[in-house]
Amino acid sequence: MSEFDSLLQGMNLILTPGHIGLMVVGVLLGILVGVLPGLGAPNGVALLLPLTFTMSPVSAIILLSCMYWGALFGGSITSILFNIPGEPSSVATTFDGYPMAREGRAAEALTAAFSSALIGALAGVLLLTFLSTKIAAFAMTFSSPEFFAVYLLAFCTFIGMSKNPPLKTVVAMMIGFAMAAVGMDTVSGNLRLTFDQPILMTGISFEVAVIGLFGIGEILCTVEEGQVFRGERARITPMVILRTWAKLPRYWWTIVRSTLVGCWMGITPGGPTAASFMSYSMARRFSKNRENFGKGEVEGVIAPETADHAAGTSALLPMLTLGIPGSATAAVMLGGLMIWGLHPGPTLFVEQHDFVWGLIASMYLGNVVSLIVVLATVPLFASILRIPFSVIAPIIIMVCAIGAYTVHNSFFDVVLMLGFGTLGYLFKKLGYPIAPLILAAVLGDKAEDAFRQSMLFSDGHIGIFWSNPLVGSLTTAALLMLFWPLISKALASVLGLRKSPVGKTKSV
Amino acid sequence: MSHSSDSPALVGTRWVELGLALFTALIGAVVMYGSVEQGIGWGDAGPEPGYFPFYIGLMLCAASVANGVLTLVRWQALNIAFVSRSAFKQVLSVFIPIALFVAAMPFTGIYVASACFIAWFMSRDKVRAKPYGKWMIACVSLGAALASYLIFALWFKVPLDAGPLGDWIAMAWRHFK
Repeated sequence: MSEFDSLLQGMNLILTPGHIGLMVVGVLLGILVGVLPGLGAPNGVALLLPLTFTMSPVSAIILLSCMYWGALFGGSITSILFNIPGEPSSVATTFDGYPMAREGRAAEALTAAFSSALIGALAGVLLLTFLSTKIAAFAMTFSSPEFFAVYLLAFCTFIGMSKNPPLKTVVAMMIGFAMAAVGMDTVSGNLRLTFDQPILMTGISFEVAVIGLFGIGEILCTVEEGQVFRGERARITPMVILRTWAKLPRYWWTIVRSTLVGCWMGITPGGPTAASFMSYSMARRFSKNRENFGKGEVEGVIAPETADHAAGTSALLPMLTLGIPGSATAAVMLGGLMIWGLHPGPTLFVEQHDFVWGLIASMYLGNVVSLIVVLATVPLFASILRIPFSVIAPIIIMVCAIGAYTVHNSFFDVVLMLGFGTLGYLFKKLGYPIAPLILAAVLGDKAEDAFRQSMLFSDGHIGIFWSNPLVGSLTTAALLMLFWPLISKALASVLGLRKSPVGKTKSV
Repeated sequence: MSHSSDSPALVGTRWVELGLALFTALIGAVVMYGSVEQGIGWGDAGPEPGYFPFYIGLMLCAASVANGVLTLVRWQALNIAFVSRSAFKQVLSVFIPIALFVAAMPFTGIYVASACFIAWFMSRDKVRAKPYGKWMIACVSLGAALASYLIFALWFKVPLDAGPLGDWIAMAWRHFK
């Protein structure tokens, strides 16, 4: 069946009032978590997960993915109006978005941000539509060593490409793996790392870690920085929207470039944050209005937003086809799929045809719904941020605590959440990344299974990871990525190209 | 509520870096110990359960030690304040209530603990020129508890532990019937 037929089938499946209602709810919740400090997309999806267990997987994924789009949009609202990035990936939007708002061009900045975000997102979905079946079909030939090599590539890319110190990334990642190992071993059935504590038998859930690290940790950081929300006002009128849209085609090259950057960074685990920074710095370098950047240049809003959303959507491509999430939020969603009893990976496309195409179809519709909802509700959500911190903070903390509790109906998880919150605060202050921890916690068991099976095939010889050209090149690429910071330095010194700015943008 | 950055530093970044590195190294050691308990070699059915986690623990330890060493190498450069006294006070003023809230939850149930937590948090907001009125506090805290009941327990059928209050209401309800 061609992709187009499948897509139509998916559209057919999701075009019901119930599903569209879920989209609107998901988008509204997403904007809410994107706007509120301390709650972000990964956190919001983790909080919502326990509530989806009674739904059908298609409805559940529509709700969660629309929440993701909503959060991406919501992050831009706070960036532009309040100079506070609601999401790490919208930091780059503050550079030019806030100056524009100060000049009284908030509505223009918001419209430009949302519209270019939609273009980026749709490009990402198109990529997903036409590439996913091919990649999935290719990945069907994979066996354990290939899968482990792909996991290795994902993790090594994280270490090599991260803007955080590599050793700190390793530490965060290993803690995630260790978390995943706690509890029952899937192969032997032994209880591992529980130290005879019955409370640890069910393992440590990644949801609890996400809620603690992102939620509580973020709140503690916010309190320490003593942020006060003092924002610009915006009223978006149809006239402003049309005028901004009329201007957009002028920036077509920026949009195309940012889309490419975003899609690439989304598929490789660079993630939306890296994509938006990279796209911003490229736009600044190549723009005609270079000197205006940082002072309220609309191009400086378009570039990071397009890349952010392109990366956010294309992050679902490796998640669906290979079972490897390209961002922290995608990792949490992947965990959700596993809880619903689905097996992310190439077989998903055969066994759960309706689910996959329902999701892809919902991405087209969900992003359009997001744009409409977000344009209509900006004043509402901006006013939420004007609620005093002493009201909003305890409510956020309550929601986090309830979210952690509902994972296993256990108070121990709430205590764990607090522990992770402390860790998250320290991690943030000392430059440890959080996303690799989540990725490893979600993928730990699968990576271990793949590794153990490979070892079984080869009787414990590591050579199996170079046993055929495919797995060999994957493993070699992984090692190259791991040592990329060293390699790029060596190359630069050999070639005598000591252009430090180039190296800097690459490492972002 | 902006903190004054000129207040004295509580602790240097280097000490926190070192402490966190030691902590993660400790986790690594615990993971390695637990793995050795399970067997890290090659059993009848291939790799034993501790085979993979052992190396995870080992890498965690190694990376932590390396982080610690890097901290020592950059000891002078890291002589900057991790957090100022006043900012840390702010953090504690939020962290301690959260800890109490979490500790109280198993005894009072989620709803009571949440309502009290929100009420307490609002009542001691000193940043505002005018403190919140009693009615305002009561409305927000009880409203939040009620909303969480409606959303979680009623609509999504995820039961939350209501504690003794829930038992009393259930008892009263039965009695009433």
